[in-house]
Amino acid sequence: MRIYRFSLLFAACFLQAALVFSQGKIEKEKSIKKSEVPEAALEWLDDAFEEIKKPKWYQEFFENGYSYEAKFRFQEHFYSVEFDSLGRIEDVEVEIQLSELASEIRETIEAYWDTNYEKYKVLKVQIQYSGEEDDLEDFFDEDSMEGVRIAYEIEYHGKEISGADEIWEATFDSAGVFISKRKIIIRISDNLTF
Amino acid sequence: MKKLSLLAFLLVFIQSVYAQDRVFMTGFFPEAALTKKLSNGNKINFKVENQEYFYRNVEDPSERWKVSHYRTDLMAFYDWKASPLYSLAFGVFHRIHEGANANRLIQQLAFIQRTRIGRLGHRIRTDQTFQTAEQVVYRLRYRLAWDIPLEGTTLDPGEKYLVISDEPIFGLQGEEFDIENRLVLSLGKLIDEQNKIEYSIDYRTDGFFQDGFRNRLWFKIGYFYNF
Repeated sequence: MRIYRFSLLFAACFLQAALVFSQGKIEKEKSIKKSEVPEAALEWLDDAFEEIKKPKWYQEFFENGYSYEAKFRFQEHFYSVEFDSLGRIEDVEVEIQLSELASEIRETIEAYWDTNYEKYKVLKVQIQYSGEEDDLEDFFDEDSMEGVRIAYEIEYHGKEISGADEIWEATFDSAGVFISKRKIIIRISDNLTF
Repeated sequence: MKKLSLLAFLLVFIQSVYAQDRVFMTGFFPEAALTKKLSNGNKINFKVENQEYFYRNVEDPSERWKVSHYRTDLMAFYDWKASPLYSLAFGVFHRIHEGANANRLIQQLAFIQRTRIGRLGHRIRTDQTFQTAEQVVYRLRYRLAWDIPLEGTTLDPGEKYLVISDEPIFGLQGEEFDIENRLVLSLGKLIDEQNKIEYSIDYRTDGFFQDGFRNRLWFKIGYFYNF
């Protein structure tokens, strides 16, 4: 019984640690010049999105490393392309409206909110495309879905039935099934409030 | 010395633009605010503001350039968290102003709107000012502030930011109605999660409907500490 309890505790700690790690909390982000971006990232972006003009580049620092991000507007949507520290593509996020999702996916997501929240308000919806470098490139310049994984990252204000009233960022899989969520910390606004 | 001459020139220029019946004053405006976050998410805030003028366009030239205390305001707020982005506050205020000390009650609704670049802070206030032998002044004010990080899309400790704000204030005293406007441009630095410092230019105009249209230009330095 004791070993069982100990294992359970160990598993809980491990899960917690894994959850914290997977959230990949950004500790610092700053804007950078194009000249500071790894060549591989510039090349990938140029191959996948030939028509974009000047993306804005950012470097994000995590507890255990850093990454690069390009942000730009393309075909009426806001894009955010994430690269690792060597400039290898990690994922592409495209901001959309909830109404742009297929109705069955939207209904699955809304069912999750209806079950878990007293009330909610959607703030930002992003489709996240991830996969191998070539597969992602083919998806954006040739529309080929092969090897591309889809997830939805949604920011919303939700009051949980259990009481917590927060801004959340949740990830849903390609079918709209809930995977995970984290609380978004709103920086204190004492200079704007008082 | 060069900077001082430039400042003097600027002030003389501003003064010449406005006729003599328009009041103009300028000076220093240090302010400090302490905000205590309570375990229930509510906040308590204390703030002190001090205004010291060094120039006024009064008739007597010998009185124009003179450093003197204008007013000191002390205020305290209790702020209820209505949601992660909305809060309601109630405040009390005391003004130390030679011959015109005053007390004020303040009610406030504030909310934050997160935008692609920075965030917008909305603040709607009503207040009532009480002064001996004067009628109560009732005011309605709305401040819109845009908080823009200067080193990326989010503001991280050690980074600078800009705040542009404007606040029209509608006041009623007896049957007299007036409008005041406060336009503020601030350059701030988030020193760490608890400390901020802001350098601002605060331009206030009032007396639109009364005798003596008044301009006040303040050079502010603000310190914000939360714990």
